[in-house]
Amino acid sequence: MMLEITNIHKSFGENEILKGVDLKIEKGDVVVILGPSGSGKTTLLRCINFLEKADQGHAIFGDIDVNLKTASKKAIHGIRQKIAFVFQNYNLFNNKTALENVTEGLVIGRKIAKAEANEIGKKALDKVGLSEKYNAYPIELSGGQQQRVGIARAVALNPDIILFDEPTSALDPELVGEVLTVMKQIAKEGTTMLVVTHEMSFAKDVANRVIFMDAGVVVEEGSPKDIFVKPKEERTRKFLKRVLPEDYIFYI
Amino acid sequence: MSEGLDYKFLVETFFVALSGVPTALFITIVALLVALPLGFLLALTRINQFPVLDRVAQIYVSFVRGTPVIIQIFIIYSSVPLLLASIFEKYNIEMNVYDVNPIWYAFIVFSLNTTAILIEVFRSAISTVSKGQLEAAYSVGLTNVQAFRRIIIPQTLVVALPNICTATVNLIKATSLGYALSLQEITLRAKVAANVGYNYVEAYIDIFLVYLILCSLVEYLFKLYEKRLSRYRAVGI
Amino acid sequence: MEKYFDVSYIVESVPMLIPFLKVTLMVAGLSVLFGTILGFILAAMKIGNSKIAKKIAYGYTTILRCTPSIVLLFLTYYGIPAIADNFGVNLNDIDKAVFVVITFSLQFAAVMSEVIRTSYESIDRGQFEAAVCVGLSNTQAYWRIILPQAFVVALPNFGNSLLELMKEGALAYTIGLIDIMGKAELIIAGNYNTHALEIYLALAVIYWILSIAIEQLFLKLEKVFSKGKQVITTT
Repeated sequence: MMLEITNIHKSFGENEILKGVDLKIEKGDVVVILGPSGSGKTTLLRCINFLEKADQGHAIFGDIDVNLKTASKKAIHGIRQKIAFVFQNYNLFNNKTALENVTEGLVIGRKIAKAEANEIGKKALDKVGLSEKYNAYPIELSGGQQQRVGIARAVALNPDIILFDEPTSALDPELVGEVLTVMKQIAKEGTTMLVVTHEMSFAKDVANRVIFMDAGVVVEEGSPKDIFVKPKEERTRKFLKRVLPEDYIFYI
Repeated sequence: MSEGLDYKFLVETFFVALSGVPTALFITIVALLVALPLGFLLALTRINQFPVLDRVAQIYVSFVRGTPVIIQIFIIYSSVPLLLASIFEKYNIEMNVYDVNPIWYAFIVFSLNTTAILIEVFRSAISTVSKGQLEAAYSVGLTNVQAFRRIIIPQTLVVALPNICTATVNLIKATSLGYALSLQEITLRAKVAANVGYNYVEAYIDIFLVYLILCSLVEYLFKLYEKRLSRYRAVGI
Repeated sequence: MEKYFDVSYIVESVPMLIPFLKVTLMVAGLSVLFGTILGFILAAMKIGNSKIAKKIAYGYTTILRCTPSIVLLFLTYYGIPAIADNFGVNLNDIDKAVFVVITFSLQFAAVMSEVIRTSYESIDRGQFEAAVCVGLSNTQAYWRIILPQAFVVALPNFGNSLLELMKEGALAYTIGLIDIMGKAELIIAGNYNTHALEIYLALAVIYWILSIAIEQLFLKLEKVFSKGKQVITTT
């Protein structure tokens, strides 16, 4: 078991967003979380990386075993070193070039020599098809290119797992494809991924496990086939009916 | 006066006024060295609503921004010697408070004043840097200090630079009030020169020119620096 | 031996100072009035098409921004009578308040021209186009659509500039104007320069309260006038 989260709770004021979610991820898994907006998917991801502090919950991450609420600064830093995060609105460092964005965590966070970090960074940018853009600042890149830098930044860290928080939902429709292609490619290379997305095709074609969340709980989980072809729960069926084209079933 | 300007005096006194520039710049630099880090830290306490400190900073800013600089100078100049005198007395220090170089009072007044101004400047600048930048820094494994030093502060600085420039120019101008501390800066030197023959018009033209040159130069340097710092904001490839 | 610090001096000086607030406020008010008018003219020069007018207006702003108030004050105080003297006009007996008002009007105009220009330019060009498209004339579009919006944008900066002006105005005592600051100097001189600290503290408190009051007033005004503005900022 690579990552195991148990009984995670999180409220914002009166509003309980996560009501006891459990999650297990094995090495090499590509897990997609689906669910209507407000169902707590993003909050779950952010709690795993301590961008939000959970009110309750437990995580076992390799050899680190922590309480999500009371984790020490050191434990948080240790876990973040193993997890990479791809943000919905990219969050590239505005004051750094594409290459510097990718190497920042290596040089400063991990104390890797600059020359070596540059090698790793260039390779990561090559992988996402941005060999021409090493020295471009974020403002000079399209949304799709920025998100690909975001993915390269995550990949370069060689993390145990990459969390994707709706990586394509801020993009213009014609730019979604290039980002999904890159994601598929790194999934194929055996990267462990936990992806929150609304891209059903990605869930269907790439994921080995799909989790359906609604109102702060996991409603149902299984293989893409289990979820898309024969969902057990009424709530899952309703959701799929709303988000999938009517004749979708014929494509499976 | 009706015989027009005394050009000889005008030229001579220009250099007298110019000789006050180092004093004005010295005060400016010391004040900035104190106010830049202190202002930034206090801005953080305001943003994070750090208890007590936040409130103290707020009142402090309100007072400094709500009262004329000249009154702040007079308050410091008439209170600090009283404090010092009682301290000297208590610890039997053989020193006359009136031997203290007035430039120290200038350092205190202008550092305190500029700190308050910069708290507000940094507060609004920091709030323009999105929270996502900090989150991204954490997510690639940077510590809090690293994230601030490498990501947040550089971006804040670029946003704040035009206002820091304004604050610096205002600071240089405010050193003209050094006369109240008997400081040998630009204004006082030229004025003293004018006292001999009542050439006040000439003296103030000189003072005016010196400040104009000095402040324009500072503005120009800031513009250059801003251009260099903000490469990443330039649109186009 | 007399006490170093005596709170009673603060309490006693406040009622002596307050009547002279009138002078301070009047000088500030007149400077704001004339300064705003001149500021409008300068802003129009900056926005307009004439290159020379633009250069003059921007040059004026830069020069005034680089001049300390006290220097401008003395330049006006000594300079204007000297110039008038050349034309055979004697201005030596004129009220000192006039020089103060001239000084701060000149200074306020430079600041206001920037406030007016930036708030004018912050209004989206589409507002003007839309106004003309629904059949308003150019003048109507300016008066009914552009200016009211620009006014709301300018309001906070106008308030800040006004506060700055009032504080800088404290320097008028240096040419002998008896406003609240000038009166404080007289009181201190009357005390043989003792207990200056207490008088200055009283003065600081009066200025501080005045500043807070003006600040609050402008916050209120902003709220009243920015009813429609929320729509602008959220789109």
